[in-house]
Amino acid sequence: MSLVKGRTCSESCMELLSLELVHYYARQNNIPAPAAVEAIGFRVGRQLAERYTANRARLGEPLEVIKFICKEFWAAAFRKQVDNLRTNHRGTFVLKDAAFRWLSKLSVDPLPPGVPAGPSPVAELARDYLILPCALIRGALVHLGVEATVTADASNLPACDFTINIKSRN
Amino acid sequence: MDAINAEIFTLTYGSMVRQLIADLEDVNEVNKQLDTMGYNIGIRLIDEFLAKSKTGKCIDFRDTADKIAKVGFKMFLNTSAAVANWNADSTECSLILEDNPLTDFVELPENYAGLSYCNVLCGVIRGALEMVNINVSCSFVKDVLRGDDVSELRLKLLSQMHETYPYKDDD
Amino acid sequence: MIVCAAVIGQQNNPLYLETFQQAGTGSEGALRFHYIVHCSLDAVEEKLLQPQKTPGEPSDAYLGFLYPTEDFKVYGYVSNTKMKFILVLDDMAPKDEEMRLIFKRFHAAFIDAISNPFYTVNTPITSPSFDASIRTIMTTV
Repeated sequence: MSLVKGRTCSESCMELLSLELVHYYARQNNIPAPAAVEAIGFRVGRQLAERYTANRARLGEPLEVIKFICKEFWAAAFRKQVDNLRTNHRGTFVLKDAAFRWLSKLSVDPLPPGVPAGPSPVAELARDYLILPCALIRGALVHLGVEATVTADASNLPACDFTINIKSRN
Repeated sequence: MDAINAEIFTLTYGSMVRQLIADLEDVNEVNKQLDTMGYNIGIRLIDEFLAKSKTGKCIDFRDTADKIAKVGFKMFLNTSAAVANWNADSTECSLILEDNPLTDFVELPENYAGLSYCNVLCGVIRGALEMVNINVSCSFVKDVLRGDDVSELRLKLLSQMHETYPYKDDD
Repeated sequence: MIVCAAVIGQQNNPLYLETFQQAGTGSEGALRFHYIVHCSLDAVEEKLLQPQKTPGEPSDAYLGFLYPTEDFKVYGYVSNTKMKFILVLDDMAPKDEEMRLIFKRFHAAFIDAISNPFYTVNTPITSPSFDASIRTIMTTV
């Protein structure tokens, strides 16, 4: 897949920016942080969807769009593909990424043995960081005609599950 | 250095600037916040710069400016800046950005003429240099988005503290 | 030669229309092309519903020749995101390969235009630099 211009930058730029974005909104008292970050990511998701689908064959059914998200979109935005895709065939898709790239810096300290899995401080922190990628994915889906909600669960870092719920039509 | 397609970074930055304008409703306040965010990024980014650039300690401020322009911009934004317009005592210079990924695609609406779109860069330089005990002020004096032929960052050395580095007394 | 280029958004709302003609036609000309472009949407929908010529072969964004008017020929292209790109030509019959290339460049310019952080998706594009690149693409054929 050829991406326009082929201009590159360091991965740290994106990491440092998304980190500061979370910190910036955490410092604001009067602005609902999740909504602002979600708005930022949603716009970018739309823009990326237009760009990343420009030179590929036409996408049809929502399933094709989801597969595009798992493979091409993930590779371009998050530098690898989704490792596993599951669906209940009723509009819910779970995308498992065994090592979600944007959380790699958070995953350096694994939980000490004996500490029960579940909401850990790191997972709480991860939740804030995941607003942006969730919004990116939702923006891309909506731009490709798939109205959906996207949530993420990072309670098993560095693995991360993204759940896409497609809104039923009509 | 791991490279990514710049557009996701460019677009996220742009979308963030737009959001800040919506949140704060004042471009001067946006400029200030971009600078602060840059500062916070800069104080983290310097470690990576020092670890990966393997450059030695800067000889003087001229050397510092050169390293920012040629090594720093290259390492993070995969572009480079030119150093120009030194003052007589080498404490002030300009970084000229001919090619800046942050401004790809950007067209500034007329009513945001006061916006210093790339102000984050000023904060990044200020924050990064502060971590190596160099205090500078940094601001845009020219901006292609506001109709100038180039983008120009003015970098001014305020103070430099050498005493925090251990050094021998034999000279 | 291309006399009009237009982009229609995801809700079939007009985002952009520019005419490339000799001076003197004025707003009456533009109105006429608005009508032609609007009418082409039905042809686009029809093309999208048509079964593939070769089953299993991936569909192309380029829809080709849509329909003729009395004086013009209308061509279409639809992106994966359901943005419609319409070109109106005067009577010269072009090669498909050439048209495909022009549409690709048209779409690429559009992608950059919507990447402007101050642009809102599905609103009319008023960017002077988009205008300039479209003019270049359409008049250097």
